[in-house]
Amino acid sequence: MTTAAAKRKPADYKSDLKPIWCPGCGDFGVLASLYRALAELDLDPARTVIVSGIGCSSRLPGFVTTYGFHSLHGRPLPVAMGVKLANPDLTVIAVGGDGDGFAIGAGHFPHAARRNVDITYLVMDNEIYGLTKGQVSPTSLTDQKAPSTPWGNLETPLNTLGFAVASGASFVARGASFNTKALTELIVQAVEHKGFSFIDALSPCVVFNNHQEEWKELVTDVAPDHDVTDKVAAFDLALRGGFKLGILYRELRPTLDERYEALVKASKDSDVDTMLEAFSARKGAAIGKPVA
Amino acid sequence: MARKSVVIRLAGESGEGVISSGDILTQAAARGGYWTQTFRTYPAEIKGGPCMYQVRMGDEQIYSHGKWVDLLVCFNQEAWDLHWDSLAPEGVILYDETAVEIPQEYRPRARPVRMEKLAKEIGGSLRAKNMVAVGAVSGVISFDTTPIEELVLRRFAHKQGVADANIAALHAGEDEGADLKGSLAIVEPVEVEADRLLMSGNQAIALGAVAAGLKYFAGYPITPASDILEWLSAKLPQVGGITIQCEDEIASICSVLGASFAGQKAMTATSGPGLSLMTEVLGYAGTAEIPCVIIDAQRGGPSTGLPTKTEQSDLQHALYGGHGEAPRVVVAPVSVEDCFWTAIDAFNYSERFQVPVILLTDQGLATRMEVIHKPDTSAVELWDRRTSAGWNGDYRRYAYTDDSVSPMGIPGEEGGQYVATGIEHDEFGHPGYTPEIHVGMQTKRWAKLEPLRNGLARHVTHGDERPEIAVIGFGSTFGPVREAVDRARAEGLSVGAFYPRVLGPFPAEQVRGFASGARRVIVPEVNFTGQLARLVRGECGIAVESHAKCDGLPFTAEDIYDAITSTQEATL
Repeated sequence: MTTAAAKRKPADYKSDLKPIWCPGCGDFGVLASLYRALAELDLDPARTVIVSGIGCSSRLPGFVTTYGFHSLHGRPLPVAMGVKLANPDLTVIAVGGDGDGFAIGAGHFPHAARRNVDITYLVMDNEIYGLTKGQVSPTSLTDQKAPSTPWGNLETPLNTLGFAVASGASFVARGASFNTKALTELIVQAVEHKGFSFIDALSPCVVFNNHQEEWKELVTDVAPDHDVTDKVAAFDLALRGGFKLGILYRELRPTLDERYEALVKASKDSDVDTMLEAFSARKGAAIGKPVA
Repeated sequence: MARKSVVIRLAGESGEGVISSGDILTQAAARGGYWTQTFRTYPAEIKGGPCMYQVRMGDEQIYSHGKWVDLLVCFNQEAWDLHWDSLAPEGVILYDETAVEIPQEYRPRARPVRMEKLAKEIGGSLRAKNMVAVGAVSGVISFDTTPIEELVLRRFAHKQGVADANIAALHAGEDEGADLKGSLAIVEPVEVEADRLLMSGNQAIALGAVAAGLKYFAGYPITPASDILEWLSAKLPQVGGITIQCEDEIASICSVLGASFAGQKAMTATSGPGLSLMTEVLGYAGTAEIPCVIIDAQRGGPSTGLPTKTEQSDLQHALYGGHGEAPRVVVAPVSVEDCFWTAIDAFNYSERFQVPVILLTDQGLATRMEVIHKPDTSAVELWDRRTSAGWNGDYRRYAYTDDSVSPMGIPGEEGGQYVATGIEHDEFGHPGYTPEIHVGMQTKRWAKLEPLRNGLARHVTHGDERPEIAVIGFGSTFGPVREAVDRARAEGLSVGAFYPRVLGPFPAEQVRGFASGARRVIVPEVNFTGQLARLVRGECGIAVESHAKCDGLPFTAEDIYDAITSTQEATL
């Protein structure tokens, strides 16, 4: 028996690259929470993959010592699914912003959720496009003035938490960059959760959409007596209590990776020669059925 | 004198037994020791619409589906109206006696078949129409029905009554040709070997992928590529892999990249519209240097186009589609058998060069059934990806190396951590935008493919090696070209064909060498603008005659023979 190695520390997950974010950006708080959560979980950096899309927050994988996949705008979820299904032993965390996840990438979100792939999706939600300098995002408030909406935003913001519950996410939570202790704990629980876990982390853009002080006033914790297994109660919180921090919903059901593993296990073993033989012109399949 | 090969065309309304008759005939011919190739047209509608199933069978390997129909079987009037002009001069007609009116001048070589009556009275059900039709065909071509009976017995192994009725309907049909029975007698098969297979191009690709070690397949349903998704869904778990039907083509290719990043061989299959959606991700794969294989079963374009017809119009999209200039490899199999080997090549190129590889097939090749030699799997050679394993300290994912291929860290490998990214990056994978980095990395990403241009790729040639008339094509047109070249050479012409199996990077030196002594260079292809002709002109600087057509149908050997024997103006 070997002695257990010393538990990893948050600093062990810090890469040599310095974040390129603006001073005061909420994403620093999210990154700090992630470092602490990774350390608390003592995850092996060589067996952990952080996948992102494109945007300010999607630069995050570069600042962590794990494997990283800085993918394309809107695409972290299908990439993360491929990583996890190809090697279920890995811990896979997808990160990105609200534009990445809920505008260009929104088509992937409900499918990742309903499939219940065992990955964590951490969205840094600043209700704005920061990298392209301040245009509205799907979570921007109605009437908000921005470079692309000089007359005020004519659209209604997307309720990401309600979307997640409706789509079948098996873990739905809200955190905030300015509450790193709670966010760290949420990330730990999300990663430990077997299934698709979603955290919408309020993460203010201090340059283009600084709601930090206002949000700090608005947030309260999810009531201790909230039943996280009650989907209707989760909807109620999602629709009416958008600034409740904590876990809204959690259920345990088989993950996609588990189901595939079982499927492969239950399949009879074969090889390419056996498969080719099934197409034999002399011994071929019965008529009326597709060949082999 | 018995015929070396026969072309049989069955036509009628989709759903009334045309397809099942064609399937039975094809499988029975293969079982009986004949070589076959089929060609089908599909209606784009879910139900109904005219359909056609052509079977060419013979005692030697069949390379094309045939232009002129020796035996036309009409299930309805529309079948006659649509297909009478494809009849060979001596062609024979069988037709449903209740449904078809044959013009006077064709009646001497047309005989009615009591399809419904015999099906109901002897076969026990209208469903036995196909057996009556197949029986009638067997009679006219003098085909020994033993293999058909064996297939029926297998199909209805637990329903002896149904099997007996079907076989009775088959025999009843055999006499329907009356005095035309035996008029198209086919020769006995010479060599009935055991190691021939009957399969479609799509199936051969899927099997090649399995032979190459495919472990992850993601796809989105699209004609005519869907049956790759379907076949692999049933089979891949049996070799420890998985398939998934994604929400769209973008998710498919993204998850394929994720799986490949995690160390598995991964593939997707689509058609033109799906390839369009995947294009941004292909640029990413080229830049982040992640291996992946994309099957493009081309169909008639543009836009939704002709979903059930064939075309070779994605060539330039496959080669160049996408913003910026990201490296990729484009390969094209020339036959059903070659689909198996080209799929393996695609994985090998992809793994060795850490690059996306697009395999260009098309509706004609994807869906046709063909008797092929069983691939010798002991000859399968697999190339591995260079990984970070064994790298000592200071690991650089995108390190400059002698062959420009860098070690790829695979999650799980200690010390191989890096961030894959489509942002321009230095050797460590860190974002960097300096002229040195961009020029260095673009050079590296393209230089690594040079071995493919310089002898690593295996191309296909046929006929004269330095011909006076050179034919240059790609993909599915090879079969009819091969046949036409043989015919023209037998008549004393100096003709040869060169088919690059790797089109990107383009083997310009080899093509130029091949055509160096030619007085004419002919480029046949199934598209409107002559994409390969443009490529040959541009890459080789030679004038060519473009024979591009876009009628949704594959070339016949006669089309190519006509091109060889009639001069057209060559342009640079």
